[in-house]
Amino acid sequence: MAVARKIPELTGRPTTFCPGCGHGILTRLLGECLTELGQDHNVICTIGVGCSCIFDTAYQGDMIQAPHGRGAAVATGVKRALPDVVSLTYQGDGDAYTIGLAETLNAAYRNEKISVFVVNNCNFGMTGGQMSWTTMPNQVTATSVHGRDTALTGMPIKVPEMIAGNFQTAYVARGTVTDAKHIRELKGYIRNALKAQIAGEGYSLVEIVSPCPTNWHMTALEAIDQMEKEILPYYTLGEFCKRGGKQE
Amino acid sequence: MGDMIKGNDAIAEAAVRAGVQLYAGYPITPSTEVMEYLSWRMPELGRTFIQAESELAGINMVLGFAFCGKRALTASSGPGISLKQEGISYISKYRLPCVVLNVVRYGNGLGSLRSGQSDYFRDTRGGGNGDYRCIVLAPSSVQESVDLMYLAFDLAERYRIVTEVMSESALGQMMEPCEFPPMQELTVQDWALDGKYTHERRVAFMENYVTTAHENNARYEEIKEKEQRYEAVGLEDAEYVFVSYGIPGRVTHGVVNELRARGEKVGLIRPITLWPFPEKAFEQVNPNVKGFITVELNDYGQMVDDVALSVKKKLRTDIPVYCLPYVFEMVKRKDVFRDFEKIRQGQWKEVY
Amino acid sequence: MKELVFAGFGGQGILTAGVVLSQIVLYKGWKATWLPSYGPSMRGGTANCTVKYDEKYIYIPGMEEPDLLLAMNMPSFQKFQGVVKPGGTIITNSDLVDSKGAREDVTIVEVPCLSIAEELKNPRGANIIMVGAIARVMEDFTMQEAIDGMNDMFRKKGKEKFEAQNTIALERGYRLLDK
Repeated sequence: MAVARKIPELTGRPTTFCPGCGHGILTRLLGECLTELGQDHNVICTIGVGCSCIFDTAYQGDMIQAPHGRGAAVATGVKRALPDVVSLTYQGDGDAYTIGLAETLNAAYRNEKISVFVVNNCNFGMTGGQMSWTTMPNQVTATSVHGRDTALTGMPIKVPEMIAGNFQTAYVARGTVTDAKHIRELKGYIRNALKAQIAGEGYSLVEIVSPCPTNWHMTALEAIDQMEKEILPYYTLGEFCKRGGKQE
Repeated sequence: MGDMIKGNDAIAEAAVRAGVQLYAGYPITPSTEVMEYLSWRMPELGRTFIQAESELAGINMVLGFAFCGKRALTASSGPGISLKQEGISYISKYRLPCVVLNVVRYGNGLGSLRSGQSDYFRDTRGGGNGDYRCIVLAPSSVQESVDLMYLAFDLAERYRIVTEVMSESALGQMMEPCEFPPMQELTVQDWALDGKYTHERRVAFMENYVTTAHENNARYEEIKEKEQRYEAVGLEDAEYVFVSYGIPGRVTHGVVNELRARGEKVGLIRPITLWPFPEKAFEQVNPNVKGFITVELNDYGQMVDDVALSVKKKLRTDIPVYCLPYVFEMVKRKDVFRDFEKIRQGQWKEVY
Repeated sequence: MKELVFAGFGGQGILTAGVVLSQIVLYKGWKATWLPSYGPSMRGGTANCTVKYDEKYIYIPGMEEPDLLLAMNMPSFQKFQGVVKPGGTIITNSDLVDSKGAREDVTIVEVPCLSIAEELKNPRGANIIMVGAIARVMEDFTMQEAIDGMNDMFRKKGKEKFEAQNTIALERGYRLLDK
């Protein structure tokens, strides 16, 4: 018999993300996982600057907006003040991987007991679709109008691989929201990341590859199609550092 | 009386006794001894010490910690405090208390490791983007460093404001005897985030900026009214009033004592709060005063602007305001005597 | 108010000598300030500090016109002999400093502190010998006050095991200048 799943109270208000954006799905999954783990009244969320700000429209819990890029440092302060409270960051790729690369990597380097969730939509969404470090080769953005020239701007950055391959951390994974199967997998990653923190194992990061139809100038379905054809082959999905320290 | 202790060590211990629960920062001369001291002292007491990857990270760790209602400190020197301005602006926006220690070093950019007072403008005007102020306390001795660091946390929490203790290179490095205040109980503020979302949510774009602006104005006015601190000498009969803070203020105090012992009518205002600037001291000045003279350790004089504004506000006269800037290191007694004589001979141009 | 400058190579115990003298002052119930050379001059092997003391609060902790200079090496002697107050004293480490051609308006006191330290089989005690000499020259401290003040400081630092050696070194320095 089908069971109606309750909308989690923690993230139950309507969001104002664009239609077809992946953020809304992550918002729902985070709310579900925190609730299912009994942490929905024991969590402080640090949000970044950018589209991740809009998480605020759905989320009802304690929240801090960090300066752009500094989420991992703020979440570190929270965790050190309240070691028994779940401290997580909710950021985009521009925030966590471009301006905040130092804070993100250094928190991972210290194996800080925080969980970092990064929505990678291959551009700076909030400011109108500029190139970020995760923008695909030849991708047209507001600051790469002829397509990203990787000879001048570098190749798209793969932070989960970088962290899992170099630092002692508790859990690192990359998921996506393109269909039900991947959403189920992603929920598992999010749950693992939170469990790693709750168990005091150390740093966890989940990257969520997400469509941005508005700034990609596509319909939602075209955006999903683009992801499956070009983006997901580059950004490999899966767990790069499993709980218990085993690496893939 | 206590034993000889270095200014930086003493101020670190004062923070511990004031109940600081987190230190996060990045090394920089001449403030580093503060962090070195706390790196063993904090864990010894079961408190948190983090060597951050940068000043940016350090101040943002303070932000997160302060949101949870516990006493937090970061320390640095000139260029490092510049990097912290972003975080200080955010902490001010969120009306969180924290204490920032600036052991000032001289100069622009990398500057120099020498003692200076180059950061007056930045630190008394807020420093980062936006429209906020920080309380700034300027000690002139090791004992006063201890007393003001202890006070800084109380002021920060009373007004929910960033409070800076502005030490300087020479004061951090010098030794003097001092007494330490008692160890305070650790506290948590009742407005703190606790993860249970029982308190008012304060996040971006959701506040009423006009209401907040009015509240901030009222708060700043209250601080200006209640928290001006200064030391004054001989203002009632002074023909010339020196204004100087920190170690230069202390040296100038020595000079003023000598001049007065010779029968010269000179006075001194040594600001202890740089913001709020101690305008009230100017109410006590002899109405027939001939001029004000700031003694500063920087290139062109900075505090001289606040002195000129205070003269206008409190004395309503157009008497000259001079500045004696001595660039860096120690203000020399002989130099102040020499340059004061030039002022009296009309050989020194006033700033205002 | 008395002003003393301690100068020499890094590693000669210059800064410690300044602190020991300051603690002797505090032990007597007076006030002291100790200001090291810092900034660019912290690195590169030379060290100096200015100690001031008085019965009252010291307003000016910086170097102005020292009553006494301790010159533990030739570069310090050359660098600082010019700032000593006319009528002041320069105590030299005569094992390393040649004071020929020194100013005539100051008193030069030559103390071969390295040789004496070697003789006492306390090679690291040269700076303490000098503290003894300085305490004597300043005429503000009895030998016992100086010894007690010094030993009190090292006891508080948990270094009382050197007490006997230190006492001998300080006494020797103090007595060298007995008239």
